[in-house]
Amino acid sequence: MSKRLWSLIGILVIAALVLAACKPSPPPPPPPTEEPTEAPTEEPTEESTPEEFVFGVILVGPYNDHGWSEAHYTAAEYVTEKLPNATFIYMDKLNPADRPETTLEQVVDDMVSQGAKVIFTTSDDFMEDTDRAAEKYPDITFIHISGDHVLTGQAPSNVGNYMGRMEYGKMIAGCTAALATETGTIGYVGPLINFETRRLAASAYLGARYCYEHYRGMDPDNLRFIVTWIGFWFNIPGVTLDPTEVSNDLINEGADVLISGIDTTEALVVVGQRAAQGERVFAIPYDYEHACDEAPEVCLGVPYFNWGPGYLEQVQAVVGGTWEQEWVWAGPDWSDINSPDTSAIGFLRGPALSEEWSAQVDEFIAGLADGSINLFVGPLNYQDGTPFLAEGEVATDEQIWYMEQLLEGMEGPSE
Amino acid sequence: METDFLIQTLSSIVAAAAPVVLASIGETISEKSGVINLSLDGSIALSAMTGFAVAFTSGSVALGILAAMAVGALVALIIAFASISLRQEQVAVGFVLTMLCLELADFLGNPFVRKPGPSVPHAPIPYLSEVPVLGPILFDHNLIVYLSFLSVVAAWWWIYRTQPGLKLQGVGERPESAFARGVNVNRLRYIYTVVGGALVGLAGASYSLSIKLGWSHRHTFGIGWIALAIVIFGGWDPWRVVAGSYLFGLLKALGSVLQRNPAFASVPTQIFSSAPFALMIFALLLLSSEGLDRLLALLPSRLARRIDRVIRGRPPAGLGRPFVQE
Repeated sequence: MSKRLWSLIGILVIAALVLAACKPSPPPPPPPTEEPTEAPTEEPTEESTPEEFVFGVILVGPYNDHGWSEAHYTAAEYVTEKLPNATFIYMDKLNPADRPETTLEQVVDDMVSQGAKVIFTTSDDFMEDTDRAAEKYPDITFIHISGDHVLTGQAPSNVGNYMGRMEYGKMIAGCTAALATETGTIGYVGPLINFETRRLAASAYLGARYCYEHYRGMDPDNLRFIVTWIGFWFNIPGVTLDPTEVSNDLINEGADVLISGIDTTEALVVVGQRAAQGERVFAIPYDYEHACDEAPEVCLGVPYFNWGPGYLEQVQAVVGGTWEQEWVWAGPDWSDINSPDTSAIGFLRGPALSEEWSAQVDEFIAGLADGSINLFVGPLNYQDGTPFLAEGEVATDEQIWYMEQLLEGMEGPSE
Repeated sequence: METDFLIQTLSSIVAAAAPVVLASIGETISEKSGVINLSLDGSIALSAMTGFAVAFTSGSVALGILAAMAVGALVALIIAFASISLRQEQVAVGFVLTMLCLELADFLGNPFVRKPGPSVPHAPIPYLSEVPVLGPILFDHNLIVYLSFLSVVAAWWWIYRTQPGLKLQGVGERPESAFARGVNVNRLRYIYTVVGGALVGLAGASYSLSIKLGWSHRHTFGIGWIALAIVIFGGWDPWRVVAGSYLFGLLKALGSVLQRNPAFASVPTQIFSSAPFALMIFALLLLSSEGLDRLLALLPSRLARRIDRVIRGRPPAGLGRPFVQE
């Protein structure tokens, strides 16, 4: 009997050991190359360490999701390239499904104890928790990505907001989709419903309408634009719809171009699979510059965030002591929207984009750049018919930021 | 157009249900022999990852599928060893293995995250796929989906229509009697647990190589628990298990179809996304509750007995109990 007991204990111990080895326990897993505690051993002299600057990045999804979180991770690497004395620590998968036991505050505690002076909190989900952590650590600067608490005056003075004007990226995505569709139906795989996701879906719709009318010569009222919301930024069984199934469903419904609005790449993968079965379908992923890589042959292009320059600016301001609280909504560099050092958002064309379409996309981008194309101009109605912008009215930043509904003509729930 | 949509949606449901069908049939086989393989969720994740990793590295989908089945079988073998030879609590061992496999899959799978890789080729069955309505729904898929059909028929036939199947039921229901008749109870339990595990491994492969291509963090998360629930829901009967799997698939598909229906515009979208899981739990509760007994008591007793037999199954009497040879 005792022999048996010992065997079981043996199994359990081995299991526990492997578990412990695999699972990076709640304190942030140090990035492979940026381990801050290694720095002193690399530079043993005392004088060089005061220059070292540590910043933290807190991610909602896995750092290698080929989407939203990876774009932030890449930005942190960009900063360390530009500022050799800067190192970063990160914590990924901070969401209720992956780390139900971990709070943002715990992660911040840990990062501060590791010497972080600036902490980027990179999800809409972290909005309230960022404010609370900032009150606890008034000497640390927090940059909450995608938030508006600086704008509304709710944020403590050591919190800044930063966001890219992805609306333009989504307009280009929508335009591209309208150029490629033959069924006249575009599917949009949306995350959860909030101001941000509504205005991005609406931007894609406006871009699609414009190009359907002006480059295809079709009636934009005949263009179907279906939005299906999965319920979170990425798939969590029991919480969200499965984006793989939603993508299949949209194609079954007649969509031949899928635009992704979620953090991960399921839509692109499904489209690649359906195309391999002989269907004529295309996809436009989101967030991450190299998102097309998973199924390049069906990828029309990807609107992506280039957080690097913004991160660098914020970190430099804190290092130089010039940081001031600000709500930043950074746009593309219209001279080259894909410039890695100046443009906050970009649109990278995919291999599936034909030369003809590409030329029309060029024209569209040029129009956006010189202001000759402005899509947020009235008359525009909300989905239920209530006016959003009156005839000739040009939307202000705040009107766009706080869109209350999807636009008239879009299919799918607004809240 | 509308019928096209319906056919395509049903076809998608059939394809998407393949891993659930395979895993729950595999689990049914193990449990029929008296062994609970609780590790399903982890086992599926680890085999999905291994299947993709092997197919990615070797370029051969067949190798990937075999590797995935081997992983599923191996995990089941550990359960069998711990519960049959060491006579440990099956549920506890299974739970530890679930956690272990999930973390291992995540850890070892890192180099393969979101890489494009090979997949099981689409293979419509000649002639059959041309049949109107049923053709596109059932016969316009790939090998793994066909295997999921086959697994149901084969499991049913083996368990209920063959001599060895009778022995299988015997070791699960009354291991002592089976032993008295000269059946090597523990050897059979080993075999069926491992066979069931291999099917679970195939379920994993069907994820990463067929319905949700590639590997990513928590790629198959949650589906193992659903499969376990469906086995209970299906009363350890292959046909009812497969019905449960498709019902779950249907509920999930409704989530996105209903959402864009203007009639449901005022319903919060969260309801649609969590409904399939909630409904599944509700169905389970209903089937196992005493309330159902009371409801059935209202019906004429002959009818009540028949309904009870159809919708409710009894677990094998020897389930979860180690057999000690005197």
